[in-house]
Amino acid sequence: MSSTVDEIAGPPQSVPFALLDEESKREIRRALLQAVCIPGFQVPFGSREMPVARGWGSGGLQISLAIVGVNDTIKVIDQGDDEGVNAVNLRRLITSSTGIEETSETDEATIVQSRHRIPEDAMTSDHILVLQVPVPEPLRGIERNMKELERMHAEGDYSKMWVSLYEDKVRNGVITQTTGYPCLVAQRYVMATTPIPRWDIPRLHQAEFLTLFGAGREKRVYAIPPFTDVEPLTFEDVPFEVEASNGAKCRLCGSEETFLVETPGSESRWSCSDTAWCRRKRTK
Amino acid sequence: MGYAAARGGLAAIEFAENLVQELRDGHPSSPLETDQVTGRLRLLVDRVMGEAGLWAPELAAQALRQAEGDVIEAVHLLRAFKSTLPRIGISEVVDADDMIPERRIVPAFREPGGPQILGRSTDYTARMLSTTRRETKPKVQPASGTPADEPLDVIPPMQRMSDVLRDMQLLVDRRRTDDSEPFDITRMPAKPPAPRSARLSTMARAETGALVGQWYRNILGPDGYLHEVTLGEVRHGAMPITVTHPVTRNPVKIGEYRVTEVEAIEDLDGIDEDRALFDIGYGLCFGQNERKAIAMANLDIACHRDDQRSELEQSILMTTDGLDSSGFLEHLKLPHYVTFRSMIERKIAVRQARLQSAPTESKP
Repeated sequence: MSSTVDEIAGPPQSVPFALLDEESKREIRRALLQAVCIPGFQVPFGSREMPVARGWGSGGLQISLAIVGVNDTIKVIDQGDDEGVNAVNLRRLITSSTGIEETSETDEATIVQSRHRIPEDAMTSDHILVLQVPVPEPLRGIERNMKELERMHAEGDYSKMWVSLYEDKVRNGVITQTTGYPCLVAQRYVMATTPIPRWDIPRLHQAEFLTLFGAGREKRVYAIPPFTDVEPLTFEDVPFEVEASNGAKCRLCGSEETFLVETPGSESRWSCSDTAWCRRKRTK
Repeated sequence: MGYAAARGGLAAIEFAENLVQELRDGHPSSPLETDQVTGRLRLLVDRVMGEAGLWAPELAAQALRQAEGDVIEAVHLLRAFKSTLPRIGISEVVDADDMIPERRIVPAFREPGGPQILGRSTDYTARMLSTTRRETKPKVQPASGTPADEPLDVIPPMQRMSDVLRDMQLLVDRRRTDDSEPFDITRMPAKPPAPRSARLSTMARAETGALVGQWYRNILGPDGYLHEVTLGEVRHGAMPITVTHPVTRNPVKIGEYRVTEVEAIEDLDGIDEDRALFDIGYGLCFGQNERKAIAMANLDIACHRDDQRSELEQSILMTTDGLDSSGFLEHLKLPHYVTFRSMIERKIAVRQARLQSAPTESKP
């Protein structure tokens, strides 16, 4: 009996290239193709359990592993930082299971996996940006019922979203949505822009690069193909506002034109969130 | 550096890994063998296999040892291991009546067709903490007489309580004539409205505590979509796993796994339901995990009766997986300083907007 089982199972294998078995990777790529064809539409896929927990970048990781080839070079950032512990952990999983090169320089990378940021450097059609998505549903804050959410997307009925933005503006004087600002993609689907800051939103509009979004826990992928309209939802007379820094400069590189993060308490309390960009600026 | 405490990249991660490994494996007690885990912590192993959706006692024991006994972590190890394996085949459909029972309880009847088997259970054992360790091998020695009238090797066939009710014309007939493929939750995410097979397989893999919590929330919490059922069957035993032989094309039994199976009888009392009939909810999960199978059976029939009126189905499908909920909860430990910086910026923006719109007269 056991010899039959062995025969069916075949020889024991070590961990396959890019961790997942080939059928799974193909399945994820199929979902990604559909996502590229329908910009901003959330495509369900059979999300696998990864060596990192759900909510920790398992969706982005599955995308990177499904599209990676032996000639790729990977950059992984978390909050803009290549050395953040979660970025390090995801990067070593990808490189150790594929043997591909890693880099912190955006222009050397072919795949950039990120949580919460888009690198400051301009990316081109040579890059694929993979964003880790905790919550792919942009309308969840205004509607909990999944059947109703499906209807709203299908019919392009975003009226509740507009009412919610209007009420926000009227009550608070500004639109208080912080990161993950909802955007209309290709004039069709409202999409959650992961929690990237509003600073990064204009950089998705008509971008040269392909952006793939992976939500492992919620088992959805979606995409912004190159040269696609990405418009933050706002009113004609209420301009979209990125994060204001009121003339603050990076205490390390002096930059005013990057997204800065704050260190409370210290004298010069701002620094670039994109650490690779900041380091390069200083060494130039 | 602002985030130095949790930064530090690879070195910090490797130190953390070493700390876990060395303090675990270097403990002065005798090393923990997996046969001790499978043999002495059977219910823990069963629970991990059930929540992982993978019958592999030895691997589950290894996972538990590696995870220092953390059930969710052990389940994670097993499921991530499964992700590296190709699916090489699909087993034959089995009939639940082919179970070789180790335990069978029928609360709905005093003398059901076939035996009531108490089996390996602490249901009626006084929960007294035993502080002395028994060194000698205990013998099963009933107080008086034999545990059953018949010797156990000639068990009369067990008549399934749903069949009994059907014969009495007391059961809604929901048997399907089509032989549709079950929904595969590992290949496609289920969302409401989902077929029953999606709900059942979601619950079979659900975290035990989450399912019990979901059940009790309906009993005493704000939801109240279910009634207390009467249990028709609580069974635990071994089931065969059969595949088609690659050469002969004959079915071949290649192994066994244990399951807990529950039929929950529901007293129909809804306005649009037939008050003269009962209905049945079904629960089945890997291993001996009766509280999970009972919660599952009761939620199964509750969900059917609810028929999309409430969000019970969404709760079951979307919130009971242990890896989903724990992973997302624990992701809060990750750095969030980019998003938090954006939040602070909007707080300041709201404050400025208030100042600008406020009346200009000075306050005392």
